[in-house]
Amino acid sequence: MKKVLSVISALAILTSFTACGGNTSDQKDDTSSKTTTAAKDDNSAEATTAAKEDKGDGKKETINVWSFTKEVPGMVDKFLELNPDFAAKYEINVTNIPTTNNEYTPALDKALQAGGKDAPDLYCAEAAFVLKYTQGDMSNYAAPYKDLGIDVDAEIDAAKIAPYSVEIGTNPSGDVVGLGYQATGGAFIYRRSIAKDAFGSDEPSKVEEAIGAGSGNWDKFFEAAETLKGKGYAIISGDGDLWHAVENSSDKGWIVDDKLHIDPKREAFIDLSKKLKDNGYMNSTTDWGDAWFADMRDEGEKGVLGYFGPAWLINYTIGQNCGSWKETGEKDENGEAIKELDTSIGTWGDWAVCTPPVGFFWGGTWLLCNKDSDKKEAVGQIIDWVTLNCTKDGLQYMWANGTYDPKNPTKDCVASETVLNMSDGTLDFLGGQDMNEVFIKGNAYANGKNLTPYDEHINKAWRDQVTQYTEGNKSREDAIKDFKLNVEETLDFEAE
Amino acid sequence: MAVVKKSAGSYTFKIVAYAVCILLTVLSIFPFIIMLVNATRSSAQIQQHALSLIPGHNLKMNWSYFASQSFNPFTGFKNSIIVACCATLCTVYFSTMTAFALVAYEWKLRKPFFTFIMAVLMIPAQVSSIGFYNMMYKWHWTNSLLPLILPAIAAPTVVFFMRQYMIPSLPMEILQSARIDGAGEFRIFNQIVLPMMKPAMATQAIFSFVTSWNSLFMPSILNTKTEKFTMPQMVALLNGDSYKTEYGTVYLGLFLTVLPILVAYFFLSKYIIEGVALGGVKG
Amino acid sequence: MKTKLKGISYSKYGYLFSIPFVVAFLIFTLYPTIYTAILGFTDCKGINGPENYHFLEHPFENFQKVLSMETFKTSLKNTIVIWIINFIPQITLALLLTAWFTSHSNEIKGKGFFKVVFYMPNIITAATVAILFNALFAYPRGPVNDFLISTGLRDTGYNFIANKMPSKLIVAFIQFWTWYGNTMIVLISGVLGISPDIYEAAQIDGANGVQTFFRITIPNLKTVLLYTLVTSLVGGLNMYDIPKCFNDGGPDNATLTASVFIFKQAFSGKWIYNRAAAASMIMWVIIALCSAVLFFIMRDKEQIKLDKEIKKAKKEAMRASKGGLDQWQL
Repeated sequence: MKKVLSVISALAILTSFTACGGNTSDQKDDTSSKTTTAAKDDNSAEATTAAKEDKGDGKKETINVWSFTKEVPGMVDKFLELNPDFAAKYEINVTNIPTTNNEYTPALDKALQAGGKDAPDLYCAEAAFVLKYTQGDMSNYAAPYKDLGIDVDAEIDAAKIAPYSVEIGTNPSGDVVGLGYQATGGAFIYRRSIAKDAFGSDEPSKVEEAIGAGSGNWDKFFEAAETLKGKGYAIISGDGDLWHAVENSSDKGWIVDDKLHIDPKREAFIDLSKKLKDNGYMNSTTDWGDAWFADMRDEGEKGVLGYFGPAWLINYTIGQNCGSWKETGEKDENGEAIKELDTSIGTWGDWAVCTPPVGFFWGGTWLLCNKDSDKKEAVGQIIDWVTLNCTKDGLQYMWANGTYDPKNPTKDCVASETVLNMSDGTLDFLGGQDMNEVFIKGNAYANGKNLTPYDEHINKAWRDQVTQYTEGNKSREDAIKDFKLNVEETLDFEAE
Repeated sequence: MAVVKKSAGSYTFKIVAYAVCILLTVLSIFPFIIMLVNATRSSAQIQQHALSLIPGHNLKMNWSYFASQSFNPFTGFKNSIIVACCATLCTVYFSTMTAFALVAYEWKLRKPFFTFIMAVLMIPAQVSSIGFYNMMYKWHWTNSLLPLILPAIAAPTVVFFMRQYMIPSLPMEILQSARIDGAGEFRIFNQIVLPMMKPAMATQAIFSFVTSWNSLFMPSILNTKTEKFTMPQMVALLNGDSYKTEYGTVYLGLFLTVLPILVAYFFLSKYIIEGVALGGVKG
Repeated sequence: MKTKLKGISYSKYGYLFSIPFVVAFLIFTLYPTIYTAILGFTDCKGINGPENYHFLEHPFENFQKVLSMETFKTSLKNTIVIWIINFIPQITLALLLTAWFTSHSNEIKGKGFFKVVFYMPNIITAATVAILFNALFAYPRGPVNDFLISTGLRDTGYNFIANKMPSKLIVAFIQFWTWYGNTMIVLISGVLGISPDIYEAAQIDGANGVQTFFRITIPNLKTVLLYTLVTSLVGGLNMYDIPKCFNDGGPDNATLTASVFIFKQAFSGKWIYNRAAAASMIMWVIIALCSAVLFFIMRDKEQIKLDKEIKKAKKEAMRASKGGLDQWQL
């Protein structure tokens, strides 16, 4: 044992020695990383062709953009394309790190803390972790929009940005530091044929009446579920669908005054879930599982009336999985199977949206600027164009009307109500309904005050215990007790 | 009679053995087939039935989507090859060398040194990674492939394996006769010991190549520049688009990631299967 | 005087050949590990914790806290249960396959192919494997449930992923499935290291396959077997990526292993580094104790004998080399 100790202490001395050695080698590496940056700049200049064409006066400043998808970097490229003057002065260096295994936030945190030339100038945050950067531990790195040369308050008023989005993007001292381009306020997206069969009409107003739209409670919704059950239908696919609505309609978030707070609306979810399961009001699927998608094309156990979700759920999820895309058997010049829309199969066109019983939002991306950036003005121009410009030249107009990417003309719901009002939100998928009417209401209903930076973990723990209760594996009391214990031991928040 | 009985016994033995082997083969190949099939299917098809044995027609489209990303798959491929090959070489060469030091020489700190290697081998890795990446950031040693390669020099598990393997199979007499022939210690190691360790080295080379090739967490945190990304990082990037993941492309990426390992494995497995080394040396 | 110098000159190489390992080890393993160990005695918490922390008044506060946590106890139990469920079939199958593939009396055709194929599950990343199995056991519809319903074994689907014991079994099975090939290859390479002379001798003596395996292969495989046991134990008690990717330690903490627990302490949003570090140290002590027991059991007969043999061999070697060199000098 003595020997081991002496070895350890000898090693410890050596360690401090090698640590010094490491410092010299890091300087060497610093220079090498500079050269690689230069190489990278060439690459990104290629990517933005517009930037290259206008390359006149040689030196350009680099704006570092950090993101977890290629959506925002694509928008920045588009901005450069549309603004040759800007592209002549700046070029973009994109850092794209996925959130798959939670690698994005640690890397972003380190890069913000390290500062310097390679630090992010413009960075993105997703709904799951945005609060950390706008109100939490890292909020002191976010520059207020007003310091970027943006007249925030006036522009927010003019664009009529969804209030929940502003609430989330406001830091503790009351300055707006982050805004998004999408609005992810939720609607109830339902099947017309099933509504007609069960309620006698597929009109949104009639369905709204049947499910108690805007009532703030679930009584009418469960009455409707009973009606649907009588006709052999389920009202929703899985309890996860209900959870998204419940979560964001509650009055308070999970953490209040540094203690775990179980909002009565969220607590009620455990009973709602049990009721759905025991009465067979749902197909008991898991969100993003095979069976969940099967319900979208009407191949589940029972027909499902609808899903709770924002506009992106229509575009990217239900629209793609509605089962109406048929392979023609022919191939194009590339040997690709040509697919065509066949409305005689699947559920395309059989959908509509209406206001849900409670207001909620789901997902979204916020854009922030580093307070230490020396290119705030330039970043401000990009942010302004993406998040606040409510004219037909702004990003949001293109985004809402499907003209952003001609190859992929999907219409999405954007943050600015002004833009939505002048856009056309009619979709064939929805049988010609204008989705904007419903989503404008949905965006207004949504509440950004009940998020916390710990939601991802706490939500998972809560839904896990709810499933244990609905599956009949433990009692309601035990489920709640175990949930509290989990949060207390993993996140160090005692229950109230 | 006895002869008949024996052959009947060996007959049943063969049936059982082949049945087990074929079952295990199916179990082992199954995920690769799923990956390959899914690489040819569209995202919507995969979302509807994650597992299917019927190929789709989307291979070309998945590839074009993969190639049109903001990153260059070939850069990732090159980086991964550099990291995995260098790390494997470092691990195998230096671990064998360390094991040789532990087995062939009498030195004072030998026992404590071995105990120490064993002790560190047992520390859970999840948290020392916090220390590691904090240190790398402090030294500004990010966006470099070296922090992914150099730690491979010190692989306690491999040293342990090499030592265990060497103890019964390295005859000291051979070292002696080499010394008599006037070979230096370093030459003895390189020209006599290394060839004898081939099966063990091939085994560990595969393991360390796979580990290094597949590692995602450290590269993701340390490398933030696209031109330093490794293959798994690029695949994770495809997967990270939470609203509209192109699953077919993800599977294609996964399959392409697995291919080089399969090649490396088939190449190295020759040594394991044939067991070249020891018999030859001893005989 | 001369001979003494020569004796030292060989031991010098022991140090020399260990230098690369030691240097890399100090920088990349030991320093971060000691750093972590120290955090266990501090109040290091929160995202900026590692920048600014202090030692606690009661140095073992974090350790006491971790040991009193229900979640930690559960995770410890899970780790052991899942490891045992996976390890016993794994080592049994690996030994069986090793016996078959190295058997001299009963050649199996295509064994080269099988050896290559059985290792393949180990090639894919744990994340991919976990997604695959998640899809297999999907509820209410998925390949396994479709099979159960179509064969009439069940009327409705079974929610494998929401129930505790099935989830544990699935995780243990994945672990078994990914690692038996690896274990087999290690054992085979160990057998290939045994001198063929011994087997020839056995064959001449008329030993059958089973006898050869138990009388010759196993005893000669002991050092490699010890390696397998210890690394499986260490790997098993550190089991992380499969339970993490399969269901994030769920349902209801049924597949929460100690490593997943540690990760969650550190990275769930509160950055409780100090407790994570303390839990790591506790796990380290547990693993070290278990390994020590293994070493002891495996050591008591064979290892000591081996050590002695080596020492003897070395002495002889030393003597021989001295002799040789002396001769040479003469």
